[in-house]
Amino acid sequence: MSAVLRLVDVHRTHGEGEAAVHALRGVSFAVHSGELVAVMGPSGSGKSTLLTIAGGLDQPTSGRVEVEGSDLVTLSQAQRARMRRTSIGYVFQGFNLIPALTAVENVALPRELDGVRSRTARAEARAALEEVGIVDLADRFPDDMSGGQQQRVAIARAVVGERRLILADEPTGALDSETGEEILRLIRARCDAGAAGVLVTHEARHAAWADRVVFLRDGVVIDESGSAPVDRLLDEPAASR
Amino acid sequence: MSGRLTSWRLALRLARRDARRSWVRSGLVLVLIALPVLAVTAAATLYETHQMTGSEGVDRRLGTAAAKVYTYRHAADVAQTADPETGGASWATRRRATPPTERQVLDTLGGERRAVPIATGYLRYRTAEGMGDAQSVATDFDDPLTAGIATLSSGHWPESDDEVVVSQALLDRDPGEQLTLRGGTKLDIVGTAESTSYRDTAFVFARPGVLPTTGSSGDQAWLVAGGPVVWQQVRQLNDLGAFVVSRAVLADPPSASQLDPDMQYSDAGIDSAELTILVLIVVMVLIEVVLLAGPAFAVGARQQTRTLALIAAAGGTPRQARRVILASGVVLGAAGAVLGVVLGIAAARALQPLVQHFDVQRFGPFDVPWLPLGGVAAFGLVSALLAAVVPAFIASRQNVVAVLGGRRGDTRASRRSPLIGLVLVGVAVALAALGVRRASGMGGGGEVPIALSAVVAVLGMILLAPVAVVALARLAGRLPLPLRFAARDAARHRTRTVPAVAAVAATVAGVVALGISITSDEAENRETYTPRLAMGQASVTDYAQKADWPAYLAAAREVAPESGPTLIRGIPSGGRTYVDFRARFVGQPRSMLSSWGGELATSVVVARDPADVDALGLDAEAAGRARRALAAGQPVVFADRAVPDGPARLTVKQQAPRERRMTTLGQVQVDAVAVPVAQAYAPVQAVLPTSVARRLHAPVADVGVLVPGGLSSAQQQDLSEKVAAISSRAEVYVERGYQADSAVVIIKLILAGLGAVLMLGGTLTATFLALSDAKPDLATLAAVGARPRTRRGVAGGYALVVGLVGSVLGALIGAIPGLAITYPLTDRSGYFSGPVPDGLATHYIDIPWLMIAGVVLGLPLLTALVMAAAARSRLPMVARLQ
Repeated sequence: MSAVLRLVDVHRTHGEGEAAVHALRGVSFAVHSGELVAVMGPSGSGKSTLLTIAGGLDQPTSGRVEVEGSDLVTLSQAQRARMRRTSIGYVFQGFNLIPALTAVENVALPRELDGVRSRTARAEARAALEEVGIVDLADRFPDDMSGGQQQRVAIARAVVGERRLILADEPTGALDSETGEEILRLIRARCDAGAAGVLVTHEARHAAWADRVVFLRDGVVIDESGSAPVDRLLDEPAASR
Repeated sequence: MSGRLTSWRLALRLARRDARRSWVRSGLVLVLIALPVLAVTAAATLYETHQMTGSEGVDRRLGTAAAKVYTYRHAADVAQTADPETGGASWATRRRATPPTERQVLDTLGGERRAVPIATGYLRYRTAEGMGDAQSVATDFDDPLTAGIATLSSGHWPESDDEVVVSQALLDRDPGEQLTLRGGTKLDIVGTAESTSYRDTAFVFARPGVLPTTGSSGDQAWLVAGGPVVWQQVRQLNDLGAFVVSRAVLADPPSASQLDPDMQYSDAGIDSAELTILVLIVVMVLIEVVLLAGPAFAVGARQQTRTLALIAAAGGTPRQARRVILASGVVLGAAGAVLGVVLGIAAARALQPLVQHFDVQRFGPFDVPWLPLGGVAAFGLVSALLAAVVPAFIASRQNVVAVLGGRRGDTRASRRSPLIGLVLVGVAVALAALGVRRASGMGGGGEVPIALSAVVAVLGMILLAPVAVVALARLAGRLPLPLRFAARDAARHRTRTVPAVAAVAATVAGVVALGISITSDEAENRETYTPRLAMGQASVTDYAQKADWPAYLAAAREVAPESGPTLIRGIPSGGRTYVDFRARFVGQPRSMLSSWGGELATSVVVARDPADVDALGLDAEAAGRARRALAAGQPVVFADRAVPDGPARLTVKQQAPRERRMTTLGQVQVDAVAVPVAQAYAPVQAVLPTSVARRLHAPVADVGVLVPGGLSSAQQQDLSEKVAAISSRAEVYVERGYQADSAVVIIKLILAGLGAVLMLGGTLTATFLALSDAKPDLATLAAVGARPRTRRGVAGGYALVVGLVGSVLGALIGAIPGLAITYPLTDRSGYFSGPVPDGLATHYIDIPWLMIAGVVLGLPLLTALVMAAAARSRLPMVARLQ
């Protein structure tokens, strides 16, 4: 089974010389279809950098980032934008819905940006909202929705158009625990249906939803299994520095 | 008191820091405030410099003398203002009045004094082509009293009565070695000198009494030396019948109550209607500046919402929150005003030589009108403060919890303000209607209510703009994404959008209103234009009794032989004998034609050949009828409207000078043809065949030289100079049809340009601020895969929404005063005594559809394209999208 996302020896350095900050130092891992991988680590460990690079929003200093077989590093900016419209879906902690657009328009956004006719895009968006269970709120504006409802819209937007890679950055961070669990269940269901998912979180109990857990500390993967007790890994100092 | 001051101090400190931190936005506001201040400052400074006020130009007029005294031969009951030459003077003409002599003037003034005679005026001199005009000054230029009136640049001042000094501008016209005056007097040119008052003007300087001048400043004038001549002495000389320009009085002018009662109103300045319109213009400019600067404060207020919410959370009152935003108005307004005044003065200084280049009158010393500039600076400060008021109030009323919770967007729109807006627009329509009624009635004066209606309409429009913006957002569902996003976002952020939309609308309203009035005015000019000759033809006319027609004909043949100059004959109406011609068709009203009179010295042409009617500029049908009638030996009579042909009684009467009654020369009844003419105007009353003229015993003579082939501009110039050498009364006229005043074209271009600049400014501001405000949304768009060009699309979309809503609103609002003002502007209802003749209207409306389409559709599209092209295409790639 081929990997939907594969990172090979990815380095990311911000700044130069004395002031250089090494956000990622030789990170490699793969996520396959049907798999949900949780990325964990303390603050500043490079989790979010990893996610922006995986989504083509940022470029690695060195290394390869393959999404469905194409190396994002070698693609042009426009081609990377195209990948985000067709292959990659983002879910953010802050929902990041566009307040000027209704729920259904927010979900239809990637399809419309991809040039799909607006009627078709809206139909697909409605189907995606149906999946996350809030199709009745389709014509509401984000400001008139609760946080959980907004995050469901964001998930619908991340999966609309049969995209196979879902990148979720602390998707439950702004939600109460009950709503958060529901959101994770939705992401899990999506992966079970064949998508590949990356879930950045710092809460150990969320990692339970994942097939595998990747631990980052100071930009280095210190464990890539599902077996080690999570709490011990979080507390342990970095294996190599 | 001290508490309030402290609170302001905190607000001002926050505002100052905020202005420095968001320097791009602050710069934008600074430019918006400073630009109008700069423009007005520069204009006011240049005007003040150009004006020769009080004692400024006194050396140019008086030399080093204490005063200039001048007299008119028959002037009595003399009264004057401080400056009788420019400020006003009055006198009565009495044959027996005797003006004071030089001796009497000096005796009246008393003390150690002497006088130098000076005569200023105009004269004509011979040039290589013919005759030219020059100004003249005759005085003793070697006398130190006259120093400062003119400066010698080469040669020497005249030493005898057959010598003159001339200006370079006169030399350029090639007068030869000697100056030959009209009448044949020849004077040696012994030097060149320039007037200190006027540049690039032909001047002749000579000794007193040499030049036969026709003067403006008196028949006799003296420069008087000695101590200051005070107002008391000026009044004494007035009583003797002399006028006085006194150095001392100009420096210290008398108060209005000291003036003669006749003179107290001569310096009244502008009337109240002009003042009202001036005030309304200032109000409109203020509104425009406030609207342009408003969005910047709205965005500033929003970017400070967190600060303000924290102030509120820490126990601050809404008033304190308000002050923080108002303070930024104070800081930026003060900075903009000072900057504008300083740069405006610098600009005036830099522009002075350029402006001088276009004006023959030499400017006075560089002069800064500090007091009015204080007002201009205050205008800048007030406009910034006003622009900050609405955002300040909205910011102070914000929902603290929502802000700290991170929700964005404005509160719901008020339901009351659109109603008030509708009422205001209704009031504006009523005012405009009132203006129209006043204009059509007696007394006129509809301009003030119409100007007022313009301001009221714009105020109403500002209140209606949110409705339009929200309505567009409602309709935006089907639009492509960038437009939909822009329309919805514009509606969500009304405090930012509405001022920009209103600024564009106010600009467009002004352009549309002025455009309608200018084109309607032009339509009136075009429609009511009556050619005085056939299109393309030229004529030489002289109304003197003994005009030298053969000489004119020879001159015309010399200049344009190919155009076939020929003499036209008619019953002469020039000279002192009055000849009256009447034609009355049997059974028709007495008056046939409302107006006549053209470029021929006659009202009745006597045609030796039917083709002579071609000179009259008739349309083809009328000319054909006239030719056929003349060929049949019938007279042609022009009429306002169609009159059936038939027997007509023609009468010619004559009244010689000193005769009290007209004597009938002849009367005949013949079959005549009535030719109706357009515009109730014909160049002559009638065209008679020679046989009919003979039966009427009418005097027939040459009445004009016709040049059927016309003249080029250069030929017209040459012929003008040639006939001027024959007689000063001869005139050359070339019929070129209606010529749109080049000033109108320029004004239209300036209007369109100004509209474009202001619209670009308004939309640029709004779009720039919207984009910086929408940064999080653009980052989200990037994250879900927007192409880089989507940002361009959004930028163009914003510009289109602001520009289109603004220009449509503005065109509707501008039409109210625009249509109304055409009534007082083109009113002709008082022009005709009876019913309005065929083909004429009492009122003209011509709407410049092309210009309006360009402004309403073209400009917004163009600005949107410019915005889209100029916007950065890179979407913000935020590392942490929170």
